[in-house]
Amino acid sequence: MSTWINLSLLRKLVQISAFIFFVYGGLITGYYLEDKISGALPALSCAYDFQGSDLCTLIPIQHQMDHRLGEVIAKGGNLMMGIMPTLITLGTFLIFFVVLNKAFCGWICPVGTFQEVMQLIGQKLGLQRHESLPKKWVFRLRPVKWFMLLVLVFGLPLLTGIGMLNHDMGDPFCRICPSRILTTLATGETSQLTVDTANTTTLVFSVLGDFLFGLIIALALTVRQPFCRICPMLALHAVFRKLGFLRLIKNATPRCDRCGLCAKACPMDIHEIHTDMQSRNVTFEDCTLCGRCVEFCPDKDVLQLKYTFIPVFSSSPQYFKQRKKSQTQWERKNLISWFKQFRSKTEAKVQ
Amino acid sequence: MQRQRLRSFIAICLLPLSAVAASTDGSEKKPIEQPAHDHRGAKQITLENGEGATITLWKPDLSTQTLNLEHGGITIPKTGLDNYHAVVAEKDWGNHKEAVIRYEYMFGRPSKQSPSKLTAVEKTDFEIVPDPIPREHYRYHSLQTWGFLVRLHGKPLSNLELILQTTHGSQQTVISDQYGRVEFQIPDDFPNLVAGERDKRSAQFTISSRYREGDIAYQTQLNADYRINPTHWQSTQLGLWVVGIGILAGGYLGRTKKIKEKRT
Repeated sequence: MSTWINLSLLRKLVQISAFIFFVYGGLITGYYLEDKISGALPALSCAYDFQGSDLCTLIPIQHQMDHRLGEVIAKGGNLMMGIMPTLITLGTFLIFFVVLNKAFCGWICPVGTFQEVMQLIGQKLGLQRHESLPKKWVFRLRPVKWFMLLVLVFGLPLLTGIGMLNHDMGDPFCRICPSRILTTLATGETSQLTVDTANTTTLVFSVLGDFLFGLIIALALTVRQPFCRICPMLALHAVFRKLGFLRLIKNATPRCDRCGLCAKACPMDIHEIHTDMQSRNVTFEDCTLCGRCVEFCPDKDVLQLKYTFIPVFSSSPQYFKQRKKSQTQWERKNLISWFKQFRSKTEAKVQ
Repeated sequence: MQRQRLRSFIAICLLPLSAVAASTDGSEKKPIEQPAHDHRGAKQITLENGEGATITLWKPDLSTQTLNLEHGGITIPKTGLDNYHAVVAEKDWGNHKEAVIRYEYMFGRPSKQSPSKLTAVEKTDFEIVPDPIPREHYRYHSLQTWGFLVRLHGKPLSNLELILQTTHGSQQTVISDQYGRVEFQIPDDFPNLVAGERDKRSAQFTISSRYREGDIAYQTQLNADYRINPTHWQSTQLGLWVVGIGILAGGYLGRTKKIKEKRT
């Protein structure tokens, strides 16, 4: 195996292809919603992107909470009629989701790809690359994604539909979602990068959305996947993760206790991959099925990506050695090391 | 006699009832707004000078339904289908054929059809079609540039004059290119705009054209709503400032973490 050909490289290629397809794919799949692939994609592909080829599932869910379920509750209609559209959306989501499971986050999502690109830039600029967040921060951040899902995707839109909040609270997550700004900017559209002074609600949400976008740009240079950790899509995935065909499987050995390389490699800082010695299915709620833990596991078949019962990628000592070597080489090449080399060469010439 | 009747027909115009209310007084600040959740039922539009016209409703699946003019108005029935529908009013005077088209978004169960099919199909001999038609989260707004195609018997007509007129009195004339396509920048002509304040008024624009083929004279119109461009109350410059503050905050958080790590 060549030093540079590995699962991470394959994933990067898939991510870039998916980014191009979902951000600019409207040119292929067609301009309109009805030409889109699912209308309920399990990744943050934004409807505000004029050229996008699909919509993230959180968009219709917010609309349905606001315009269907909330309306039915307010008017006292048939509750089933109010829930049915959401069930159809979740059904469509599941049809796609079972195929790749949480890999939609790690392999497909445009926002995930963007953060990884920023991380790559940060690493090449020689900025400190934090391998992992402190444990206490990881645990503190984990509930935020559930708050985002329950309050911003379901709660506030439902209250809006019932009539308890103003109409601008009907899609609160979309208003702060970085995908809205990122994907529209990627197509040369600045209309979403604004401060909206129409009223207090739009002002607060637009400022929050813009601030969050800036925060993610800077944080992604040093912290791995900062937005993914609080993303409501991750929480929605977590609910259905047992149904997905693709899974992360662990065949724990006593060596696992002492190693911990898998947890260090994890971009989401899931320490349980290392410490959990009981579970076989270790597709934890924060896992994005990126496969880095499998790549950096030095023991044969201890960690595996399995598609139903078929292992598609397994850890092995040989792969680990090659992968570690290529990672070291890759990380060594950055602006600071280049500058040091340049300076030492110049000094040598002077002497 | 025929010329008189023709002239009266030229004034044919399809307008939604709310737009009629808004367009009666251009200086009025707030239009009559439709209730936020009352968009799933039937819609009513007015057809001025439409006596004797054949009115056809084209559904997203390209099936058609004949509609009747009653007291100067047309009721677009609830079709149960989501997506754009086209209302086509035609008058055939033998050697004069006239048509007016309006695309209305109706709500219902997913039609699973692309609006591009509706715009692509020949609905009348001589027609102007949006290219493209605004999709979800988009509408025609002032200051935006949108494309339109002009076709005769489904084939593009080049080098033809198309006129855009708004209910606020603006007018533009553009010549179609070799593909029968034109682009108009929708005028920002709403009166009494207050900077920084959201304004939900809408108005109408009409794109019209004429063409003569042999003995037959054709006339066509496309009617649509347009709204005030949100840039009047949304600031990209402020947005950039806030993003900048976010970047500084993110940089500071990263830096703080770095110091803490060095200490430990």
